[in-house]
This record gives sequence, structure tokens and C-alpha cells, in this order.
Amino acid sequence: MDWSPIYPAALLTLGILGVLITDLVTKGRRPGVAIGMAFAVLAGAGVWALGLKTSGDVVLGVLVVDKFAVVFTVFCCVTGAITVLATTRGEAFRRPGGEFLALVLAAVLGMSVLSMSVDLIVLYLAFETISVPSYVLVAMRRADAKSNEAGLKYVLFGGVSSAVMLYGLSLLVGLIGGTSFEALALAVQTPMVQQPVFIVACVMIFAGFAFKISAVPFHFWAPDVYAGAPASVAGFLAVASKAAGFAALVRVVGVTVTAIPQGLADPLGAFWPGGNVWFPILAIAAVLTMTVGNLAALKQTEIKRLLAWSSIAHAGYLLLVMCVWTEDALAAMLVYLVAYLFMNLAAFLLAGISIRELGTGELKAMRGMGRRHIGLAAAFAIVLFSLTGLPPFFGFVAKLQVFYAVFDQGFVWLGVVGLVNGVISLYYYARVVKSMYLDDAEDEAPSKSMKLALPDGLLCALLVAPLVVFGIVWWGGLLDWATTVARDLPYIMGAGR
Amino acid sequence: MLTILVFLPLVGLLAVWAAPKQAARVINVATCGVALVVSVAVWMQMDLAAAGYQLEEKVDWIKTVGIQYHVGIDGVGLALVLLTTFVSFVSAIASWRIENQAKGYHMMFLLLLTGMLGVFVALDLFLFYVFWEVMLLPMYFLIGIWGGPRRQYAAIKFFLYTLFGSVLLLGAVILVVLETGTWSIPEITAMAKAALASGEAGGILGSVGLSLAAFIGMFIGFAIKIPSFPFHTWLPDAHVEAPTPISMILAGVLLKMGGYGLIRIAYPFFPTAAVDMGLVISVLSVIAIVYGAFVAMAQTDLKRMIAYSSVSHMGFVTLGLAAGTEAGINGAMYMMLAHGTISAMLFMIVGVIYERAHHREIAKFGGLAWVMPKYFVLASFAFFASLGLPGLSGFIAELTTFVGAFNGPHRTWAIIALLGVVITAAYYLRTLQKVYLRDTPEQYKDASKYPDLSPREWAVLLPLAAVTLYMGIIPSTAMDMYNGFIRDQLVPVLNAALEITTRSFG
Repeated sequence: MDWSPIYPAALLTLGILGVLITDLVTKGRRPGVAIGMAFAVLAGAGVWALGLKTSGDVVLGVLVVDKFAVVFTVFCCVTGAITVLATTRGEAFRRPGGEFLALVLAAVLGMSVLSMSVDLIVLYLAFETISVPSYVLVAMRRADAKSNEAGLKYVLFGGVSSAVMLYGLSLLVGLIGGTSFEALALAVQTPMVQQPVFIVACVMIFAGFAFKISAVPFHFWAPDVYAGAPASVAGFLAVASKAAGFAALVRVVGVTVTAIPQGLADPLGAFWPGGNVWFPILAIAAVLTMTVGNLAALKQTEIKRLLAWSSIAHAGYLLLVMCVWTEDALAAMLVYLVAYLFMNLAAFLLAGISIRELGTGELKAMRGMGRRHIGLAAAFAIVLFSLTGLPPFFGFVAKLQVFYAVFDQGFVWLGVVGLVNGVISLYYYARVVKSMYLDDAEDEAPSKSMKLALPDGLLCALLVAPLVVFGIVWWGGLLDWATTVARDLPYIMGAGR
Repeated sequence: MLTILVFLPLVGLLAVWAAPKQAARVINVATCGVALVVSVAVWMQMDLAAAGYQLEEKVDWIKTVGIQYHVGIDGVGLALVLLTTFVSFVSAIASWRIENQAKGYHMMFLLLLTGMLGVFVALDLFLFYVFWEVMLLPMYFLIGIWGGPRRQYAAIKFFLYTLFGSVLLLGAVILVVLETGTWSIPEITAMAKAALASGEAGGILGSVGLSLAAFIGMFIGFAIKIPSFPFHTWLPDAHVEAPTPISMILAGVLLKMGGYGLIRIAYPFFPTAAVDMGLVISVLSVIAIVYGAFVAMAQTDLKRMIAYSSVSHMGFVTLGLAAGTEAGINGAMYMMLAHGTISAMLFMIVGVIYERAHHREIAKFGGLAWVMPKYFVLASFAFFASLGLPGLSGFIAELTTFVGAFNGPHRTWAIIALLGVVITAAYYLRTLQKVYLRDTPEQYKDASKYPDLSPREWAVLLPLAAVTLYMGIIPSTAMDMYNGFIRDQLVPVLNAALEITTRSFG
């Protein structure tokens, strides 16, 4: 038996223990050691995952190693590593001690397993392995009432949606008589899928995913949690947690997408293109998520809250392209996720730095930042314009791929809704830029220039540079790569609608 | 060569960034000067008698989706490139006195120049769109940071309007690319021509309805930039709040991108839809001409009046295009060039007096002709050019457009548009009388506060005036540039489209 596919996960597990023990031994006096260790473990796991043979074999009957799993493992390791670094630079909260690092590692472990799982029980376990550390990470600033409130909200919402999902899973398991994707793939070819309970199960399972990816109507936790959590943690949740949710969603949808609910197919012909049972669920969620996210973001006055709503809206774009369900669409989704990683990690890092410097995340306080620190404000502006999807930044090419795939399959109305949402989003992103550049600082006192340490600058540059580089020159290669990954997905039968 | 021209301003931008603050304006003027020289060199290298694009450069950019870095130029592009470099050069001189965050200003200015030049030479739809959007950001900052009191409102309004248009444009572009499988503008144009030749009314999209939808999307996208009624409301705010040199560029070049987009992309891609929509566009144009002129007449702010006169004049561009005749489209192009120089001059005229008086209320001025006689001469020159005095470029443009529109299918509307010319004359003459003639109020008699034109202002106004005069007397220089494309490419296509649509309706 070849155990190599789970070595990265094992390394992460050892890392959790290692970080905790190191912290105990050094009694927290030398946080640098534990931080360095966590960073090394994440980097090591990422590199190790890259070297895995992507055979598509199923290990232990529950985990699969394909390009898709590797991509998401690397994705989450990178995000975790950047989060560890960003936490040391972001808004002040007590030193990122051993427990913080261990929790990040545990969450990354969960994400890695989630992206590999092809068994419903393992999928659920991995889900919870992400959720539980996340709850604690959010509530990490014990002295801060807002942080505690956010943690509690997160637990409540997480618990409820997880219960609903579990119920859906139990229905499904009852229907197919097994927990593996293999059994599921066979079962959906049978009349089983004609029972309404199958649809009910799908909708309930989607509730769990919708919570993870913060899709409407399971998004209510996101703004409070992102605002209450330290910015780096918010970035981690917005990027890694969401990406892992999408990875698992792609796998689940991939197995069940060919299910044709015969009884419902005819009366709703227009809404079930190709008999895709997921289409109406995803399409409705996409439209709602984009629209609600963007409209709510318009009124926000605090940067982390604004970014939270913006990340909800971005989940909508990702769902939009999932509706289409072609190889091109999945490739577009991967490209979008890569763009999303850099944009959001950068946005939350910059938000964290400005909160540290200004003492508050209110947009009002950011007035005049364009004069106080040219580099920081310029980086922020690039990130925000990229989030809007303006050329020549990465966000534009990612959005272009999404809409290309959507229009390509003839979903013009979905594409139009997405494009209109793009315009709406400009308004609030531009408002931040306006605060930084166009508004004068309210009082003269804080108009002293801001100073940034070199590590801050390097980290920002590391995250912002790809937005320009990919936007202008490099995205052809990225797209090729994404297409090969999308082609490699097993259990995706009859790609195309 | 075109690549050098387009990215030259970016080199200037880096130089501004690296150089000390005091050198920024010098570098900006120098870069614009070099760009002007290079664009003239492009002109010299081109064979204007030959059809098709010249000086093409083509490199695969993103192979997976067939996007190329493809630039090239023909007469239409050349005329507008020359206009761009020329207006930018004088605007750069006019920017001499910007002191607030000068480095940022000049960097944005140069970035804007790259975007504008790129739009006029891009032959790949993706590239075109990228340049089109690249202009948006510097313009937003230029209005928003260096503008007047209501600059924030104006900047965000400008940004939202144009982005809305861009998104419609993007939707239409994606539709076209999906159907034709290429991003290349010349290839799609050829396909549209071939579709016409086979008598297919649906054109490149293979469906009349879809073509119409895509055309309307593109038309709105471009019309917002022109700006054509009823999408013009961002313009007065943006023009009034922008600093003088930026108003000059905005009116002189940016508005021309909309017209260029129609001539280069929307009309050749969807000739049948364009012909179908001819009446609607004519009506909107006439409303823009007459209503724009009336609103201009009602303004009390000098700059606002000129902004509305732009709306009115740009109506001629769409009117000429909607006529679909050789003279009409020629007139539309000529109007773009003439308006580019005249409106730049007008905004400078306003800037000159605003710098001295710190207000722009028409009613509060009076008798400036006796205080600043040289300024008065140039101001009245610009006013008369704008109202269409024979011998100056505006007259040629209006005349050709009217001739074209009378021969076109929507003659009645062209006659109504004549009314606009009368109103235009009325408000310009009234303003001339109020601001420059009458008795001089006490406050303007102080010659030390109201000196006549400085050498720098001469350097801005005189070249613009010279070109206006030249274009009024010898129109053939400009017309010969682009007439080949209009006569041999666009008009035959539109005529064929007219035949098809009348056949299918009849």
C-alpha cells in the first residue's frame, strides 16, 4: 500500500504537535521559533504535495490524490503560510503564540483532507476539522468583546449549518446505502434520483457548503466574524476556508451532476439545462450572493466589514461559473480562485496594517492616506481595482474568464446579472480609494506620515506584484495549467451540460 | 514604431517618478513633444493612398484564447493619433502651473496618454478594451484630486458612467468573440462584410435580434463616452470640475474615443443593426444638438456653457454617422477633429480668465476686451470657430455633416438640427458681448491683476488657433487621411446593409 499521498497531511499533524511543544518548552519567550517552525511545516507540506504522483488512485477508500487535490492543498498551505506571516505584521493582538499557530495548522490540515476526500463521512470530518479551529481563531483576542461575539456567532451559525448538512448527508447515505463517492456515482444512474428526497438532500448538503463559502442566505456570520477577527484571520477564512469549501463542493457536484430528476425535468425544462440537478440551486445562490453581497457592501463604513461583503460577492461569481459546469468553467474557477487568493490576502493584510497604524478600520480614518504613505495607498488602490475587475489587473482576466465561460454556454441572463454586479462593486471599492486619495484628512493631527517596516513592504509587494504580473503577461500559462487540472478531475462524468 | 509611440509615455512616467519634483513638468512636456514628433513620423511613413492597416505589429499574447498584441494604423486612426499627441502636448504646457502633488499629476497625465494612444492603434478587441479601461483610472484621479470644489462627485460620476458603458461594451465583445472565434478587429470586420455579401441580415452573430442587442450594447458603451443624449449628464460635472488641462484632454480627445469606437467597431461589425437603428440615432443626435444648445444658453457658468456646447457639437458626430453617407461620416470625423482642437482652445480660454478672476460667472464679467485685448482676439476666434464661422474648421465639419445628412435616409431630422446652429450662434454671441464687451466693471480695471496673455498661454492657444484656421481653409489634408476607409470600406458596407434591411422589411 502506498501511503505517500497522506504524507503532507501527516507532516501538518506533526507540525501541530511540534509547534505546541516548542511553545511549551520556550515558555512563549521566543515566539520566533514557533512561528518559523509553523512556516516551515506549511511550506514543507506545500512542496511535498507538489511532488506527489497525481495518479487519481483512491487511498484507504476515502482519499484521492489528483491534480485538483494537490492544487487545493498547496493553495491552503500558501494561504496558511502567508497568514502566519501577516499575523506578525497586522493589527496588534498578543503575540501569535503556539496555540494560534497550531490552530492555523489544524485548519489547513482539514482543508487539505477536505480537498482529497471522496467519502461522505471523511468529507464531513474534514469539514469540522476546519470549522472548530476557525471558531477559536476568530475569538482569539480574548480581551476584545467584539472578537468574542464574533466567535460565538460563528459557532452558532456553523453548528446549525453543519447539522443541516449532516442531516442531508444522512438522507443521501440512506438512499444510496454507502458513504463512498463510488457508490454515489453508481446510485445517481438509477431511478433513486427521481425521488424528491434526493433533491432535498442536495439542498441540505448545499447549506453546509453555503456556510463555508459564505453564500446567501448562509452568509450572516461573515461580516461580524471578519470585522471581529484579526485581519489576518479574516483573510485566512475568506481565502482558504472558502477555497476548501469550493473544492469539496466541486467534488460533490461532480458526482451527482448527471443525476436527472425525470419527474421534474419536463415542466422546468428551462431551469434544468441538461438535467443538471445542481443548476437551479447554484444559479439561485449565485445571483443572490452576488447581488446581496454587492448591495450590502455599498453601505459599509468599516474596511473589514466592506471586505467581508465583497468576499461574499466574490463567492457569488465563483458559484456563477460553477453553474456552467464545463471544463472551461472549472478552469476559469481555478484561475479566479488564484486571483482571489492574492487579492483578498493582500486586501486583508493591507487592512490589518492600516488598522495597526491608524488604530481603527473606519474608512473615515483612512482619509489622506494617499499623502501619508504613497506605497501603502498605491498597493491598496491596485488591490481594490483588481477586486473590481478593472484591467490591467489580475482580477480583470479572472472575471473575463468567468464571463467568457458563462456566455459561451448561452447563459446570457446570468452573465448580465454578473456584469451589472461588477459595476455596482466599483462604487464601494472606489469609495475606499476616494477616502485615501481624494478626501482630505479631517484634522491635521494624524496627517503625519506613516512609516512602514521593511517586512511589511516586502509582504505587500509579494502579494500585490502577482496582481499586475498575471494581469498583463502571464495568464495564458495559468489558464493552460487550470485547464489540465480541471480535465484531471475524476468522477466528473459528461463534463458539459 | 506604434509600440514605441504608445509606450513612450510610460517611459516618461518612470522618468517623472525617478526625477525630482521640479523636473516633472519638464519631463511631461518633453515626453508629449517627443510623442508628437513620433506621431508625425508615423504619418510620414504611411502611404495614405493604400487601403488597410499599416505599420502593423502582431505578437501572440495569450495563445490559449487567441488574444494577440496587435496594433496597426490607418487613416482614421492616424488622424486621431495626431489629434491626441497634439492636444496632449499643448495640455502638458497648460499643466505648467500645477503645484499640488505635481509628480502624481504628471504621472497620471502620461498614463492617460498611453491609454488614449493605445485605443486608437489597437486592432485586437482585448487590447482595445484594456487600453479603453486603462484611461479610466488616471482620469478618475486627475478629476478627483486636482479638480474643483465638487471634484469627488464629478470623479465618481464619471467613473460609474463610463464603467457602466464599458461593461455593456465588454458583454457585446464577448458575444462577438464567442461567435466569430477571433479577437482581431480586421478579421471580424471582414467576416461582417462577407456575411453581408451573402445577404445574411443577421450578420456575424447569425441572428438579427442578437446583432441588434450587441449593437445597442456597444452603442450605449460608446455613446456614454461621446457623450450622446441621454447619456451626457456626467459630462458637465466632469468638465467643470476637472482642472483646465484635463478639461482640454477630456473634450479634445476622450470624447473622440466614443466616435472612433462607433466608426471602427460598432458600425463595421453590425452594419445591418446600425442601419436599423439609424432613425433612433438620428433623433437622439438632433435632441443632443438642439437640447444641448438650449441648455448651454441657459448656463451662467462659462465652463458649464462650453461643456454643454460639447454635447451639442458631438451630436453632429452621431448625426453624420447615422446618415451612413460618405459626406455624413466624413463630416462626423471632421467634427471630431475640429471639435478636438476648438474645445481644447475654449477650455483654455476659460482657464485663463479663471486663473485671474477666480470665478466663471458670465454675468459678473464685462468689458474684458479693453483690459486684455490680445486675449479677447483669441477668445472671439475660438467662439466663432465653435459656432461655425466659414473659414474655420467647425464650419467645414458642420457643412459636410449637413450635406451628408440631407442625402441620407433621415433628412427631416437633419433639417431640425439646423436649428441648433442658430442657437449656438446666439449663445456664443451673447456670451461674447457679456464677458468681453459692455463697460468694464471697476474690479477688472486693475491691469496688474488682469495682465494679458503670458507667453505660456500663447504657446497653448496659438498652435490650437493655427490648426483651427488651417483646417478651415485646407480641409483636404485631414480628409484625405481617412476618406479612403470611409469611402471604400464603411459606406459600401452600410449601403449593402441598407439594401438588405429594406428588402427584408419591404
